[in-house]
Amino acid sequence: MKRNPFPLIMLVLVLAFLYLPIVVLTSNSFNLSRFGGTWEGFTLKWYSQLFNDSQVWAAFINSLLIATGATLASCLLGTTAALALHRWRSRLQNIHYGLIYTPLVIPEILMGISLLLTFTAIGMNCGLHTILLAHTTFCISYVTMTVLARLQDFDDSLIEAARDLGANAWVSFRRVQFPLLLPGIISGGLLAFTLSIDDFVITFFVAGPGSSTLPLKVYSMIKHSPKLPVINCLSTVMLLFTFALVLTSRAFQNLKQPKAPNGLKNGGHA
Amino acid sequence: MKNAHLLAMLALAAATLTGCGPKKPTLHLYTWSDYLDPELVTAFEEANGCRVKVDTFDSNETMYAKVQAGSGGYDIIFPSSYQVSLMAQNNMLQPLDKSLLPNVVANFDPSYTRVILNPEMTYNVPYAVTFTGIAYRKDKTAGITVDSWTSFDNPAFKGRSSLLNDFRETMGAALKSLGYSLNSTQPEELQKACDVVLRWKKNIAKFDNEQYKTGIASGEFVLGHGYSGDIAQVMLEDPENIGFAFPKEGFTAACDEMVIPKTAKELALAHAFINFLYDPDNACRNIQYICAPMPNSKGIAKLPQAYRNNPAILPPAEILAKAEVLKDLGASNALYSKVWDTIKATE
Repeated sequence: MKRNPFPLIMLVLVLAFLYLPIVVLTSNSFNLSRFGGTWEGFTLKWYSQLFNDSQVWAAFINSLLIATGATLASCLLGTTAALALHRWRSRLQNIHYGLIYTPLVIPEILMGISLLLTFTAIGMNCGLHTILLAHTTFCISYVTMTVLARLQDFDDSLIEAARDLGANAWVSFRRVQFPLLLPGIISGGLLAFTLSIDDFVITFFVAGPGSSTLPLKVYSMIKHSPKLPVINCLSTVMLLFTFALVLTSRAFQNLKQPKAPNGLKNGGHA
Repeated sequence: MKNAHLLAMLALAAATLTGCGPKKPTLHLYTWSDYLDPELVTAFEEANGCRVKVDTFDSNETMYAKVQAGSGGYDIIFPSSYQVSLMAQNNMLQPLDKSLLPNVVANFDPSYTRVILNPEMTYNVPYAVTFTGIAYRKDKTAGITVDSWTSFDNPAFKGRSSLLNDFRETMGAALKSLGYSLNSTQPEELQKACDVVLRWKKNIAKFDNEQYKTGIASGEFVLGHGYSGDIAQVMLEDPENIGFAFPKEGFTAACDEMVIPKTAKELALAHAFINFLYDPDNACRNIQYICAPMPNSKGIAKLPQAYRNNPAILPPAEILAKAEVLKDLGASNALYSKVWDTIKATE
């Protein structure tokens, strides 16, 4: 039987469309030519320029600090929100769900400008702390949604069983529910981390003096820098970093949810 | 080594966050990317026992939007001249104290007064002057002299040239080629300029602001309408084959300036920094880094030969006399964008 070549062609085209620009960018980061039009030979000088550029590193540290802070804060708040949304159904919770859902669909530029206007209205100087607040705000939604998806598969009878066996609310959460939710929380956290480290639009509005993040720095370099290939190097490094994060996140998402935690299986009534 | 560097930065960042590091005053600069020699920044930090933080913007408009929305805290901003006028009108700038700027008073080169929009320097000190002209491949012009805007009409360069994708620059070039001012607001002059650009459009490859440098460097393009600072960088890499021409009909000049916004916190330090950059040795180093002249006569005199002889970095006085500054046209900008839309829409 003759196989239809159409799916294969489509696959190749789609892969080329998605990955060819990345391949070009990565190979240009090793190109001796400053303009990337022609291949003039292999070099690592752009990488050495990148690693010696203190402004880029300062921006990188800022990005890392903000992403870490926003991830931790949004994991805590997002998980709590997801638990509340899962456990109680009421009109108030519907509003709560709407509030959590809004940042996912609201245009970033709207969120950025409204945050900036709020900060200036209450007389708060912009800086790292305002970026942290802004990032936490949109990250909460992503964490909540991820944890909520995990909760939908969650077997509530496990908690009832734990309570039957004498665990109080806190212990049953800590020993039963939390370990089962952890993969969801971690993958939500990784999602939040990548979103925070990538964000340009919102960050642009709420950044203050001395708080440039990596995306802000890269954007101004693209428009106005004689060191264009350094951006290629930086993008390559960031790509590797993001790929690693996404892969880890996927690995956590794919962890099979066990039927019952090990502790219950082994130590239960015989 | 690198790890130690990174660790030090982390420690520094942590110290800033918790606020328990040694309290040093911090000077905040808001400028274009890679537009200031980082070694000068380090030297200033050591000499003044302070820290300098550099943030960057990508266009005058985004910088203006942010500062106006209330994002204060920058001590020196580096906008272009026309943006300085707008900021001054909106009461966003601090008048400068000339007694704190002895190097500026002593070293400013008056031959640049013509190409600076605000020569009285109430709020601004010129940082760097750039021009627009034509970059060309000496090896591919086949003996044709490139010294005029009419080169864009030349069929010898058909499909191998580019004009800037900027309505003030390209319309300005057309107006100059007709002998008009590039700040003209006469509808009939603009109409004639429109016809000229439409004629050029048939002969050029594209309107472009970035890739033309690549095209010229690789030899794919023979002519490129572009900014002197950008082209000077390309020329330093291939001085044999790449030339820069100032069209004899006249061309645009633009200046980036240093201003201190009203919201600045470190006034004395900001003045000290401007004064520091106008020191002849520092000016000389910075001109080499950014490839555009700061109007500082003693600094320019110290430039190495290769830089002094590059017309894209340092145009001779008689050429400088043909430069005209782009002014903010206010309401007449609409006229230009209408003509530009026509040009872009016409096949």
